[in-house]
Amino acid sequence: MHSKTRYIILGLLVLIPSFVNLGVPIYNRESPELFGLPFFYWFQTLWLVACTGFYLAYSRLVENKS
Amino acid sequence: MIGADVFIVFVLLFMVFIGLGFYGKYWRRGDLDHIHEWSLAGRKLGTTLVFFLIGADLYTAYSFVAIPSGVFAKGSLYFFAIPYVMLTFAVALVAMPRLWTLAREKGYITASDFVKDRFNSKTLAIMIAITGIVAELPYIALQIVGMQSVLTVMLAGYANSQMVQEISLLVAFVILAAFTYTSGLRGATLTAIFKDILVWITVIAVIVIVPISIGGFGNAFKAANSSYATLPENLVPAYATLILGSALALYLYPHAISGVLSAQSAQKLRKSTSLLPLYGIGLAVLALMGIMVYAVPGAMKFLSGFPESSRGILVVPSLILYTLPSWFSGVALLGIFVGGLVPAAIMAMAQANLLTRNIIKEIKPNLSDKSEIKITKVSSTVFKFIALGFVFSVPATYAISLQLLGGILIVQILPAVFFGLYTKMLKKTPLIVGLLVGIFSGILMIEMANSFGQLTSSVLKTTFGPIYIAVISLGINLAISFGGSIIQKNRCQKQE
Repeated sequence: MHSKTRYIILGLLVLIPSFVNLGVPIYNRESPELFGLPFFYWFQTLWLVACTGFYLAYSRLVENKS
Repeated sequence: MIGADVFIVFVLLFMVFIGLGFYGKYWRRGDLDHIHEWSLAGRKLGTTLVFFLIGADLYTAYSFVAIPSGVFAKGSLYFFAIPYVMLTFAVALVAMPRLWTLAREKGYITASDFVKDRFNSKTLAIMIAITGIVAELPYIALQIVGMQSVLTVMLAGYANSQMVQEISLLVAFVILAAFTYTSGLRGATLTAIFKDILVWITVIAVIVIVPISIGGFGNAFKAANSSYATLPENLVPAYATLILGSALALYLYPHAISGVLSAQSAQKLRKSTSLLPLYGIGLAVLALMGIMVYAVPGAMKFLSGFPESSRGILVVPSLILYTLPSWFSGVALLGIFVGGLVPAAIMAMAQANLLTRNIIKEIKPNLSDKSEIKITKVSSTVFKFIALGFVFSVPATYAISLQLLGGILIVQILPAVFFGLYTKMLKKTPLIVGLLVGIFSGILMIEMANSFGQLTSSVLKTTFGPIYIAVISLGINLAISFGGSIIQKNRCQKQE
């Protein structure tokens, strides 16, 4: 992979989850509910799993220098 | 009053905990007269162990006590702990493997070691060590408050409960001090795994049993304050800056850095860091307990027997006691109890490293390796008892407030530690000034935000809405550090 593209992808893998986490208005709503939990609560909890995916991809790409 | 079965399970499991703590000495044997063997477990911890060790830093009384307590009293604002842990791992993923690599090359044990070498400044290194030690103290005190909350709930209704509680805490601390003295970080890592198993069992049991017994989360939200369902619009800036400030601060705490440096390789460190957001799911469940408790009448009635200010910290143990089978609540309560004890051990060890290597050794450079390890072991014991004395002498709610101050202090070492890893443009004098101004402006603003009374708030009302003070004071600090460095550089060029 071209090294510049690689850096952009690496950056995005860290910045996308961070942007969502800091972008409070994105998830600050009550519906749709899940098991009676307002969106605000269940979204952030499930987003933890998505973040793990982003971070694992980042780690893989950092170590894969070629 | 709770039954004997709870006590029996609690005590039996505590004995297993003690056994593991002492066994740590023989686990992956190393020469414990070497500082990196004692305080970094020989830098040999793999992905899973680092996951548990740093997880133990995360799953402290902060998650069991401070966060559910905040959610209980103030609602959604305190849910910031969940996005905060997600963000902190992004920060860690970028900065920490680099620190790990440099530390392995040059033999650093603390962040202060790195700063001294990188900026060639003893003054800055000592100041960073002092900031670390001071910021860590209220954090340890918070752990003890968490342990206290378990004992308070267990002993409620019994005679002399106050005295029994203080003696129990003292005994627990003597045991803790004894095994950290002999086993070092190995003992802490083993007990961290034990603690995590108990906590995860508890979290899973709670998330399965409680929503069913209260008829769904919806009922809990109905029973709680109606404003808890989402974040009130005016608190959005506070929420976002609390996420940002806390995320930047966590990996600057000395105990977090010890956890990082004990990893076996940068690759393993990256992998365990990537997986750590999963840990946050448990944290989310614990935070939700602050709302679920509203739908458990038994627990609410029990809580109403305590003064309003101390109800929050008792939320999690009382919810456990009133929803889980009684023998099982012994397991869960011990999980929370040692959930305060293990991090307290790791934190005190990290403080001791800073004191010995970065303060005492600077004053007495010809200290032998043997005395270095001796002083480190003894001072880690002393720090634990300072924190214990602190908790005995001030009210619990006050200890939580001071934790807010700890975050504001520790984040001030960010320019030197994080930016120092990546840029060569920073100079030592502006960094020193920035650190000092950051700390003093932070303290001043937190006093202003609380009208110079008891600390209950860590956000300052500004024209942009309420903002977490750590973020403002860090901004000032960064402006001075970078601005000053640029001015200094230009001046040097002119002279040439």
